This record gives sequence, structure tokens and C-alpha cells, in this order.
Amino acid sequence: MLVRFLIPTVAVLLFLLESQFAMFSPIEIKGATIILVPRFLILYLIFLAIYYNRKKAMVYGLIFGLLFDVFYINIIGLYTFLYPAICFLAAWSVKRIHPHLAVSSLIAIALMSLLEFAIYEFFYVIQFTSMALQPFLYNRLVPTILANSLFLMMLGWAFKYLISARVLQRAQEHS
Amino acid sequence: MPHLANKKLIVLLISVIFLVALIGFSLRDRHNATLPEQIIKDTVGFAQSIIAKPTNYITGIFSNIESLLNTYEENKRLKVRLEDFAVLQAEVGLLNAENASLRELTTIKESLRDFDPIQATVIARNPDQWEEKIILNKGTADGVEKNMAVMTARGLIGKIVIATPFTSEVELLYTNNENYRVSAIVLGEKNEEIHGLIEGYDVERNELLLKRIDSNLKLKVGEKVQSSGLGGIFPKGILIGEVTEVTTDDFGLTKMAYVKPAADFSMLENVIIAKRKTIAIDGSDGSATNGDLTNEPVAEEAEEEE
Repeated sequence: MLVRFLIPTVAVLLFLLESQFAMFSPIEIKGATIILVPRFLILYLIFLAIYYNRKKAMVYGLIFGLLFDVFYINIIGLYTFLYPAICFLAAWSVKRIHPHLAVSSLIAIALMSLLEFAIYEFFYVIQFTSMALQPFLYNRLVPTILANSLFLMMLGWAFKYLISARVLQRAQEHS
Repeated sequence: MPHLANKKLIVLLISVIFLVALIGFSLRDRHNATLPEQIIKDTVGFAQSIIAKPTNYITGIFSNIESLLNTYEENKRLKVRLEDFAVLQAEVGLLNAENASLRELTTIKESLRDFDPIQATVIARNPDQWEEKIILNKGTADGVEKNMAVMTARGLIGKIVIATPFTSEVELLYTNNENYRVSAIVLGEKNEEIHGLIEGYDVERNELLLKRIDSNLKLKVGEKVQSSGLGGIFPKGILIGEVTEVTTDDFGLTKMAYVKPAADFSMLENVIIAKRKTIAIDGSDGSATNGDLTNEPVAEEAEEEE
């Protein structure tokens, strides 16, 4: 019974923790300003899409994307669209391969970079940022990828463990 | 089966059109929250403030340890400053008394400097840091309104852009929004007042830009920049930063200065919202954020000053 509620609870917790971790950024190293963007929730949602259920992951993506848009961005529709789209891509990409933990971690990081890039392009087009591509890549994308990979290395196995526990439970309910 | 695929395609198309419309709609008016938005903001804000408490506690422990390690160095520096401070305090006391008595002589009761402080805690920060925003745990229920100045003990950090009943959103000084202006003042030599506007920031140097300074006036590196209160919203005399370099403007007509902000923006925790006592005009520091500014005679004056 507990496992059932753990899946949404973890999502809510990650959503709330993102903004707490964002307070550590930006970091200055040797005169360069490095921006670290916590993307914990989407990594978790990608894992949900791969190991659990594509549709449920997309619904979670829709809800949390909407919350994100309203609470932080004030542009409704940006994350609301991108979160489910990323979940869809995640489920689609593992259709033909066996999702080993390392493989799905790689996919998650790749899709997260795609999300980051899509959002950069969006803000660039509507002129909310004037950051050029080069500084975006070096001061933002690469550090963000590194930081989130670290996060995934620490907690990726826990996500997988939790989700497979839920899948097992579901299978028992059905049988 | 092709029938089903068609149906899916139509649903997809409609949802894409709906999304684009939604983005367009919300882009047009980003600085007013509708009722459902306010409800979501307050609910998420409530959850955030619960999460923020333990995390603030933990980061507090870390920063305590860090400051403990620096105690010796800091103590040495502070001892030197303390002697100057005693002299300064006596002087300030005298000046305050003098100011009060002079004010009694004249009819001026309110000063642009006066403000009611509202203490607030930072509960969240925009995780994708494209716009530098923080969210505070005080809202209109506590008297917070749009456009109020937000500062830490060390200096100005930004202003309120959206206030819901229990939360409020601060746009930090580090922003690309060109309508975000703070009318500022530098006290030069012989107490000469040098006016300018804080407009945007330099991404590479991470410093604010003080623009539109009269080119006849002499500005020096190291001079302190304060808010002037003439923009109509912020109280006067909030420290903004220190001049680090003086150059000419893009067009060579006015001077421009780089300003290093006095406040530390990276680990914000407790902030003060300054509610100005003198009448604040309805609008923002800058004209184009709220369209109705130009129609009002009061606002026109403010624009000239800016």
C-alpha cells in the first residue's frame, strides 16, 4: 500500500527540492559564473516513463509542468508541453532496447539536455535572454549535465528500485 | 486503424494550437495573476515554505561552520573598523537630532527615506534560472504590494513583481528586462548629487549598469550608489552598490558606470520588503511595464525624473 503513494510523493518532493537546490547557484569559479540547474523531477519522470507506464508519466509531467509554469515562469504552456513530450520520447526510445540502469540513465541525461536546450531556444526567441550559444553551453549546459549526472548516479538505482517494487505490486494485484 | 490514427493526429493538432494560444495569452500579461493562478501559487508556496524550513536550517549550520572558521580573520578586520564606527555613530546621532529639529521648523513631515519594513523569508527560487526570481512567504495579506523594494541588510536586491495573498515574487536586479529601471544617486565630491538609472546588467562582468549620467559630472571609482527615491516607488537611500568603472554610454552622450552590487545574491534567506511611507505612484520604475502610466499627470512627472 505504501509503495503506491510513494511514487507521487517522491515526485512532489523532488519538485519542491529543485527550488531549494537552485539557491546554491550560480557558483563562481575562477572568475567564471557557472549556473547549475536542478532537473531532478524530469529525471524521475523519465525513469517512470521507462520502467513504469508511459501514460502515467505523461500525466505527471502535465500536472507538474503546469505547476512549474504557474509558480515560477508565469508563461503557461511551456513546461506543460515539454515535460510530457520528454516523457513520451523517453518511453519511445526504449521500445526496442532493454533498459539497463546505465542505459536509461544515459537516455535521461540526454533528454534532460534536450529539455534544457529547448527552453534556452524558447527564451532566446522571445528575447528573455541574450546569452549566446557558446556561454550557454560552457557555463550552463555542461555544468548542469555534470551536476544532474551526479544526482542520478546517487539516486537512479533508488528510483528504479522503487518503481520496480510498484510494478511488482501491480502485477500481484492483477493476478 | 487509419481512422484511429487520424483521430489521434487531430487531438495532437488541437492540443498544439491550444498550447500556443495559451503561451501567447500568458505572455501578454505576465505581471498580474488570475484567480486560479493565485490559488496554485499560494498552495505551492505553502508546501515550499514547509520544505524551506529544514533546508534553511541545514544551510544555516553550514554557514555557521564556515563563519566559525573565518572568525579570526574577520575579528581582526572588524576591530579596525570598530574604531571608525564609534566616531561615525556619534556623528550620525548628531545629524539625526539636527535633521529632526530642522524638520520641525519646516512643514516637511514625510521624507522619501521613510519606509515600513516587512520581514520575509525566501521560500523558493526559480530553478531554471533564466529569469532571476525568488519567492517570499509574505503576500498581500501582510501588506505587500507590487513594485515594493526588496533588500537585505547589505543592500537592494530587487522589487516585487507579483503579489498573491500569501506569497510574493521578486525580480532580482540581475535581469534582462529593459523596463526594469531603478533611479539611483551617487554622492560625489562636495556632496554633489549625481543622478543616474540602473538599467540592466553586464552578463560577463556580473555587474549592474548605471546609465544616463550627465557627462559634465565627475564620477569616481569606489563611490557608493544609492536609490534616489525619485522613481516614485522605492524609498530613498537604500544602498545598491559601489562604482567599479566609469565609461561613456553607447552613443557617447552620457556617462555609464559599472556598479558592483552590495548585496550577496547567491544565498538569500531573510529579506526586508520596504513599504514606502510617502505616496508611491501607481506604476513601476520604468514606463512600459504597466501601460497606463503615460495617461496620468502624476506619472509624467515621474518619467521626467527618471
